[in-house]
Amino acid sequence: MMFERSPAKIWRNRDVLYRLKYSYCRDCKRSFYPPRGRCIYCGSSNIEHRYSSGRGVVKEFTVVYQTPVGFTDMSPMVIGLIEMEEGFRLLAQIVDVKPEEISNGMKVEAVLRRMIVDGETGLIYYGIKFAPLIEKS
Amino acid sequence: MRSFIISSSAVKIDRYYDKNFKELAIESIKDLEKKISEPLEPEALIISSVAVEHLDKQSNIAGIIADYLGLRNIRVYRVESGEASGLAAVQIAHSLVSSKAVKKALVIGVDKLSDMPNAKIAELYSYLKDSDYIQIHGVSPLSEAALLAKIYMKTYDYSYEDLFIWPFTMHQNSPDTPHAQLRFKISPDSYKESPILAEPLRLLDSYPFGDGASALYIVSEDVAEEYDVNVSIEGLSSSNDVNDIASREDLLIFSAVRDSFIKTLKMADIELGKLKYIEIHDNYTPNAFIVLESIGLADRGKAPELLQDSMIGSAHVNLSGGLKARGNPWGATGVYQVHEIFSALLGEFKKSVLGEIDYAAAQNMSGCGDVSYSIVLKRVR
Repeated sequence: MMFERSPAKIWRNRDVLYRLKYSYCRDCKRSFYPPRGRCIYCGSSNIEHRYSSGRGVVKEFTVVYQTPVGFTDMSPMVIGLIEMEEGFRLLAQIVDVKPEEISNGMKVEAVLRRMIVDGETGLIYYGIKFAPLIEKS
Repeated sequence: MRSFIISSSAVKIDRYYDKNFKELAIESIKDLEKKISEPLEPEALIISSVAVEHLDKQSNIAGIIADYLGLRNIRVYRVESGEASGLAAVQIAHSLVSSKAVKKALVIGVDKLSDMPNAKIAELYSYLKDSDYIQIHGVSPLSEAALLAKIYMKTYDYSYEDLFIWPFTMHQNSPDTPHAQLRFKISPDSYKESPILAEPLRLLDSYPFGDGASALYIVSEDVAEEYDVNVSIEGLSSSNDVNDIASREDLLIFSAVRDSFIKTLKMADIELGKLKYIEIHDNYTPNAFIVLESIGLADRGKAPELLQDSMIGSAHVNLSGGLKARGNPWGATGVYQVHEIFSALLGEFKKSVLGEIDYAAAQNMSGCGDVSYSIVLKRVR
């Protein structure tokens, strides 16, 4: 079996991909994702790693029609710029909602979804996408 | 220490199904060789290419191209820095020459994007993004540029139609650019028939996929003195930004573009107003405006208003047609840009528009300003 993507790569990134592990800078008090050993804003290495609640807000989004190989069966695919509750922002797919029903300011939450199917015989990789937040009463 | 360009050439960007990347690279130096009086004997060959491993299952391409060029016992290097590889390769050549490691360096940029279907090229383009955490979401520079377009339009109160002046202008420039891929004009409202790639961006907001190769001969001052025409590299620099635009504090300025351009002007010891011709990296329409504003040719949000007949202030921009119409064969693009500004300084490119100029510049970046390189050339004689 030929893998286009390394299964080990997905496994070692599991905390970042599935639990949204991010970095918080104790010096400048800012957060960023994916986590790094140094603050991308002030350069400090006084960093701690935290886990996101998975809830955020759509700041902007686009509907993509020219999708890369591996994503063509998801076309048209919505990519959102999402600001998480913890203050960091990321780019990810928005699902479970029609594009015309998405608006800036919409609350979303992380959901586990199929990301890429690695060819006809390869593995199926899962990861985080974002869906409209379902408020629990 | 300065280095000098004494010859350049470029093949027309097109679909070359009958040529492999080695043959295209060889094709690119034919005109360059004709323009110099002695045999081409570089002591270093620097190859810029982004996609050859993926498209041709080939590594060690600098050594292999040197072999096909008949060059032996020289230094060979391959440079890859995303879409900015071309100008990165020029900077390596300049460093080798100005440090006196070599006296003559040949730079060739080459990529063949028409060797694979568009979806595969779109996949390779997404490789510019962090494969662990960004690319895996299906994010590519296209989706980033689409988000920037929407933010730019809302922040500065533009409609999509307002931004279309950029592709329209680029297609005004390209018909008389000999090496341009798309040598035709478009109408001001042709976007209506252009398919959407990532809304609001349409096909005409993007660059065409094509094959290209361009070459430069960069030499030391004592070698350059033997030639009637030469142009000096007065300044060059580069800078980088975070790879994901989501983490940037200011989405509408490309800090890598701004910083590298400031450093380049400082090294050249000139003011921005001295530059009468600049080639910028316009892989997508919003990026063109953000680049123009990042290098200081326009205040924030003003570039679409100020652009008139491909001029902003006293500077002509992208007379080649830019990536939009000249084309963007990734690893070769920065080399094409330098070929264009070099030729313009010699009065061999766009002379009817530019007349005689002393300084010209190029800016070459990857994605949405993830890394950016810039260069200033000066006509010596």
